[in-house]
Amino acid sequence: MKNKKPVFFIVLIIALLMTYSAIFGVSIPIGSSNFTIPGAPEMRYGIDIRGGVDAVFEPTGIDRKATAAELESARSIIETRLDQQNILDRDVTIDKENGSIIVRFPWKADEKDFNPEDAMAELGETAQLTFKDAEGNVLLEGSHVSKSQPERNTQTNQYVVGLQFDDEGTKLFSDATKEHIGEVINIYMDDTLIQSATVTEHIPGGKAQISGMPNYETAKDISDKINSGSLPFSMITKNHSTISPSLGSGAMDVMVDAGMIAFGIICVLLILYYRLPGVVACISLLIQISGQILALSGPQITLTLTGIAGVILSIGMGVDANVIISERISEEIKSGKSVRSAITSGFKGAFSSVFDGNITVLIVGVILMLFGSGSLLSFAYSLLTGIFFNFVAGITASRLMIRSLSEFKALSKPAFYTCRSRRVTL
Amino acid sequence: MKNGIIDFYKKRWIFFGISITIMIIGVISAFMNGITLDIQFKGGALLKYDYTGEINADEISDIATEILNRPVTTQLTSNLSNGDKKIVINVAGNSGIDAKDQSKFDTALKEKYPDANLKLSDSTMVEAYFGKKFLQKGVIAIVLASALVMVYVWIRFSRIGGLSAGAMALVALFHDVLVVFFTCVIFKIPIGDSFVAVTLSIIGYSVNDTIVIYDRIRENTTLHPGIAVDTITDLSISQSITRSLNTNFAVLISVSMVYILATANSIDSIQSFALPMAVGSISGCYSTICIAGPLWVMWKKHKEDTQLAR
Repeated sequence: MKNKKPVFFIVLIIALLMTYSAIFGVSIPIGSSNFTIPGAPEMRYGIDIRGGVDAVFEPTGIDRKATAAELESARSIIETRLDQQNILDRDVTIDKENGSIIVRFPWKADEKDFNPEDAMAELGETAQLTFKDAEGNVLLEGSHVSKSQPERNTQTNQYVVGLQFDDEGTKLFSDATKEHIGEVINIYMDDTLIQSATVTEHIPGGKAQISGMPNYETAKDISDKINSGSLPFSMITKNHSTISPSLGSGAMDVMVDAGMIAFGIICVLLILYYRLPGVVACISLLIQISGQILALSGPQITLTLTGIAGVILSIGMGVDANVIISERISEEIKSGKSVRSAITSGFKGAFSSVFDGNITVLIVGVILMLFGSGSLLSFAYSLLTGIFFNFVAGITASRLMIRSLSEFKALSKPAFYTCRSRRVTL
Repeated sequence: MKNGIIDFYKKRWIFFGISITIMIIGVISAFMNGITLDIQFKGGALLKYDYTGEINADEISDIATEILNRPVTTQLTSNLSNGDKKIVINVAGNSGIDAKDQSKFDTALKEKYPDANLKLSDSTMVEAYFGKKFLQKGVIAIVLASALVMVYVWIRFSRIGGLSAGAMALVALFHDVLVVFFTCVIFKIPIGDSFVAVTLSIIGYSVNDTIVIYDRIRENTTLHPGIAVDTITDLSISQSITRSLNTNFAVLISVSMVYILATANSIDSIQSFALPMAVGSISGCYSTICIAGPLWVMWKKHKEDTQLAR
């Protein structure tokens, strides 16, 4: 039989490394770039934890659903205005099914005097899109643009923004290009310059191209913005919530403090009641908890309050797996088995119930992934990662550690593995 | 009690009685307190402001009613641990407020009380049809999750009569969901997103608990063939009862910690999920041991009797 003594220390070192990375994050320089795993400090918290704004914007003034293209333009308006307010950390998504746009942004760290309702009211306003000459005179307005889209110039093979004007726009544009040959025409959304173009020739036909786009994305972005000038609606939000940063950080502190105190108490109880398997359970819980933190902070998944409910549930399941295993081992020893065979059959007996328990929770998690929305998705993600670490930590790591520890002579006494639960038989 | 086997089956009517009493209390309080849906589900508008010094709640109601054109109720609260004061403004009706109107109200409020240091603490605006959709999705998730869990138990525990096992696990689940629901009703916690998350967590716990016991029953049925089903069940529950209690105790410690700290800092969003979760986890443990097990034995015995009669 191979010597298993070092296994415990390897697992322990892995547990400590994981805990360290979860608390502080890791950054290892490899060549010129840095390999980084963000830890808890870089965790992305939901609006309900760190405070911020969560708003659903819907079109007003039309009695049909907004089309996908219109929503794209509306989004570009909102994005431009968020830029203007210097709100860069944000999440703007289009809900095509409901014809709405969801905007979420957290508070900036130094935010003191900020009226979220003002910011939100401004975001949905119809954009004023104007074409101006170098002196700032308005040549024509965005409502004269009937269509703008990214195109590829067949001769130069470069991306361009194609413009098409309505009748009045064609006339205005024709005059403008005639008058300003060789000069610059600037396109503004409200007061933000979104594109400048130099007039190379007189364009009478109502169709124009803005060249010099580095790629398709830029061309699309600019044409979305230009289209916003002829958007037939403005957006309002009657579905929004805001949470102030102080309330948010209070919620976070409560969760962290409660988590640490509870973890401390649970560890003490586990060790007192289950002795050696209890110590192992604490280490395996450490792997589970830090693993879950890394699974959230690593891919920068947003953690919300319901997500924390999911973490609590998974940790509970993790405690349960360890409790079941410890009880089983103790039972087997009391039935007269040797420590080593008690460990083997204890894990075997415990596995099926831990497995079935986790699979049912997996079912709940998958259902939520499919049917949940918003905060329930966060809950589902926590559950699914929790189940993964339950198998890794609660079953595999615990078994490796207990097996390895039982190889030490000093730790092979049955008394270390038995708890006070009485053995019940027929 | 023999060899440490507790007679759960014999005492079943006591347990059923306890559960039925709890349910009756729940139904009565539902009639007395009414069921409050959270703004998230029913739609509406709620604003909370931090302030210092003195303000007049009635005056603020008047300002709000005038600007928003809707009746308003206001309530002054203060934080238990640090004495921070808050005014809660609840706008009647089940639609949100446009951000522009909210902005007007904000300006008017600050003009009226320039020295009160008024700061928006949090606000929630939800349109009724939006809330309805959230509610629907939540209910679908709960129902579907319960149904699939039952099917899984049915398949996995076919050796001990899968359908009966699945059905009884479902009864236990239903019991726990009701207990969570009634906890919300009794403590006047609005039914919202966090209710759905808590309910699903409790479903997870409760099924896990039930499965641990079914697993023991499955194992004992193989180990001791020919022993009566009530004895096997009592034996299995007794064997795993310390595990049930210990695990539950650990969960209870965590959730209670969260609840205590949230109460001390008056963070009601967390309070309103920690309390039903704590009560639900107790119920999850209880329903498994005292309801699902004995009920399953009754089903089995009934089936044996009808088979004998044939």
